[in-house]
Amino acid sequence: MTLFSDTRYLFVRALKKLVRNPILIFFSLFQPIIFLVLFTQLFRRFNELPGFPPGISYLQYAAAGILLQNAFSSALQAGTSIVDDINYGFLQKMLVTQVARPAILLGRLSSDAFRVTVQSVIILVLAYLLGFRVNTGLPGILLMLFIIAFFGLAWSGISLALGMRTRSAETVFGIGGFLTFPLLFMSTALVPVSFMPSWMQDVSKFNPISYAVNAVRDLSLAGFYSTNAVLESIGVIALIAVITMSATLYMFRKVVS
Amino acid sequence: MTEVINVKDLTLTYADGTKAVQGISFSVNEGEFFGFLGPNGAGKSTTIKILTTLLHKTSGTASVVGLDIERQAPLIRKLIGVQSQDTSVDPELTGRENMLLEGHLQQMHGKELEERVDSLLNVVGLKEAADKRAGRYSGGMKKRLDLASVLVHKPKIMFLDEPTTGLDPQTRATVWDYLEQLNKSEGITIFLTTQYLEEADRLCQRLCIVDQGKIVAQGTPAELKSEIGADAITITMKDGQGKSDDSLKAKGRQLLQSLPNIMNVVDSGNGLTIYAKDGGYFVPDLVRAFDKSDIKLVSINLSTPSLDDVFLKHTGKRIRVEELQKQTSSMFSRGRGSR
Repeated sequence: MTLFSDTRYLFVRALKKLVRNPILIFFSLFQPIIFLVLFTQLFRRFNELPGFPPGISYLQYAAAGILLQNAFSSALQAGTSIVDDINYGFLQKMLVTQVARPAILLGRLSSDAFRVTVQSVIILVLAYLLGFRVNTGLPGILLMLFIIAFFGLAWSGISLALGMRTRSAETVFGIGGFLTFPLLFMSTALVPVSFMPSWMQDVSKFNPISYAVNAVRDLSLAGFYSTNAVLESIGVIALIAVITMSATLYMFRKVVS
Repeated sequence: MTEVINVKDLTLTYADGTKAVQGISFSVNEGEFFGFLGPNGAGKSTTIKILTTLLHKTSGTASVVGLDIERQAPLIRKLIGVQSQDTSVDPELTGRENMLLEGHLQQMHGKELEERVDSLLNVVGLKEAADKRAGRYSGGMKKRLDLASVLVHKPKIMFLDEPTTGLDPQTRATVWDYLEQLNKSEGITIFLTTQYLEEADRLCQRLCIVDQGKIVAQGTPAELKSEIGADAITITMKDGQGKSDDSLKAKGRQLLQSLPNIMNVVDSGNGLTIYAKDGGYFVPDLVRAFDKSDIKLVSINLSTPSLDDVFLKHTGKRIRVEELQKQTSSMFSRGRGSR
């Protein structure tokens, strides 16, 4: 089973690099934390508006959106790491070893998913200190983290493909930054769908972020009985994952051969 | 002798139509230090990439350690070590971690790997710095780490793509010593590409001179240089008034016409370079001829032909490496037009 052990070695490598560059995690977390601490305070009276779910604070509502925003923007940076490996010749160096080739991608993806999970836990702890509560307890939190990590994994695929295609970290960063806010604002991450103009409501219906946000929000506000949103989100994320992973595999084959 | 690399009529044409390798054939024997010497764009890296299973050939055949490069690529990877042109170490891992990772990916584990890593770090002089991050190493240290890391799994053949390009002269000399030692004491076959004449001359037992995807000459450095069949004698002169200019060179040329065995005379900038058979015997004639004239010889420099002369003979141009032009300027540099 060299695939498994090779993946583990490359996963550990990626984690070491991350731990030794804590500034990267700090930059990723900076934005969600600003949203969590300032944005939710700035708009705290949103919950007085008609159409807002009754009886909950804006923080309680927006936390799910902020978690997914973090997963989305972190995932869209994933491709920069493979750009470095390509440009510094490290990928080539791995390719002339006996490494099980899929392990190069799997090690990358698993460490990205792990990173998103760790960042999400930090955000959850901070949100808890600010008053955010999860109704479904620990099992709910674990399911939330699973959805968030899966969501991150699906999107890091597109970033990896972009990285291998463009071989430019700037482009990967740029496209990631370019996509994050429009997709975030045109989703149910920060406001209920009824707050939006009708055209934006339409966009939101097709926005994958909305599905993931709805599932995570349901797990924090309601309970497991609303499994519809959870199953729906997993289905949508799986669909995205299939598409992005196909693109990644296609690009990887091109780079490798 | 066993052949460990055998290449026949190998070609590679990139998707954009660039013919990077155009039908090359050569073989390398076990334990040999073999080189590809040529300028940028000669197809050296492409050839290495094909032989190390990173690129697919367009046509021809090639085998490494008796294994077919297309069908038996995974087996080949077990037996070769490859150092690419860019030094590829992970800057965020320590030297030791870089080597352990490489070892793990080469399916080595446990105590065997740790001991191997320790001894290699020792050999390349990185024992002290082993637990520092590679990003903090100097260029030479990174190069040595890179070299050591591709040796972890005890490869039979090392492929080195321009291992000293971009290194300062001192570090280059250290790398040379280390490579020679590897080849001699561990018996590793080395295939090296370079654009440095003196590197090929010093290290390689046999070499191919390559240009534009083709092999233009192959043999031992001595064989190749003897093809030229002449030594180079570079002289500088002055006249009675201590002047040295073009008219003086013209006069000098006239004077030389009376001498035997001269194959060619070219302008070398501040003097003349004479190509003559048996240069050692020629110099006394030269001195005598000038002694009788009103031109004084300021300096005489006798040298045997270099690989650059060989390259020039076969391609009509010199290998362009900036830092080398100074050293070889006396050879054919200004003479191209006059030939």
